[in-house]
Amino acid sequence: MNHSEYRIFSDFVKERRIVFYYYGYFSQTIVSAMAETIKLSMKQADTTASVKRKLFSCFVEMAQNIIHYSSEALTPVTQDDAEVRQGSVCIGHAEGRFYLMCSNRVAANDISPLREKLEPLKSMTLEEIKRAYQDTLRAEQPEGSKGAGLGFLTVARDASKPLEFEFAPLDDHDDMIFYLKVTV
Amino acid sequence: MNDATMENLYLPATADSPEVDFRFDAHELTLKGESYPENAAAFYGSIMRQLNDYLAGCDESTTIKVDIALIYFNSSSTKMLFAFFEALNSAAERGVHVVLNWHYDPEDDTIGDFGSELRDDFSALEFRDLPTAS
Repeated sequence: MNHSEYRIFSDFVKERRIVFYYYGYFSQTIVSAMAETIKLSMKQADTTASVKRKLFSCFVEMAQNIIHYSSEALTPVTQDDAEVRQGSVCIGHAEGRFYLMCSNRVAANDISPLREKLEPLKSMTLEEIKRAYQDTLRAEQPEGSKGAGLGFLTVARDASKPLEFEFAPLDDHDDMIFYLKVTV
Repeated sequence: MNDATMENLYLPATADSPEVDFRFDAHELTLKGESYPENAAAFYGSIMRQLNDYLAGCDESTTIKVDIALIYFNSSSTKMLFAFFEALNSAAERGVHVVLNWHYDPEDDTIGDFGSELRDDFSALEFRDLPTAS
């Protein structure tokens, strides 16, 4: 990019009311630092305390998903502490609402299970989501989950619209890029 | 294990974990702050082990005061906290008197609702709903 391209880029960010964007490695330290800057910008934001809290909660769940599940890992995939993995996250504002987007690469084997987890959430009512959340909270920890199986339910509970997601193919690999959009 | 040999547990708050102040000798347990560590199972696992050792030494003559003042916890911490209250409730079911002071911002529906669920699920605890404006 030269200066004028950078200006076009900056104007685009401004017009689209992008509050925050990060692409790169995600570790707990990095997420915690991002959480700090998001808290600061939320302090200035003209919205309710409830929306601010929901936005923060969705951010943490989405960013920690990248730490745990992105298939582009700097640390060995068997390591489950101090993990470092790649992805991106964005927070924007449109039509009077905040939204969050994130993306990361997903291993070919994980695509179907991820789709099966997310697909039903799209058509569930808030009451059904809350019920599923309560049931999962009381259930045994699911196999293969580093969290509690509650992450997407937490995000769905905090969202004001159904979750939107897609998988985009890669030219040279069976892995796909996973995109998730959450409007709070 | 009796009270005299049970070491108190204190962990200062960090950016992503709460202050843990378990004064077993005074029967006062406090969790305060934010909770979203990378590995909640590991963070709460060691706390739970010490809590279970402590609870094993408590009986009908014990009154435990638990103060929870968490302003945010992520999904995996929620799961671990639920197990924490489950352990306290089991102790209460065999006669230990457990008072749970649930502190939260009245504007925070999520934490208020979680408190209501705890009250419904763990009825042996003496639950005190304490909305406090920040």
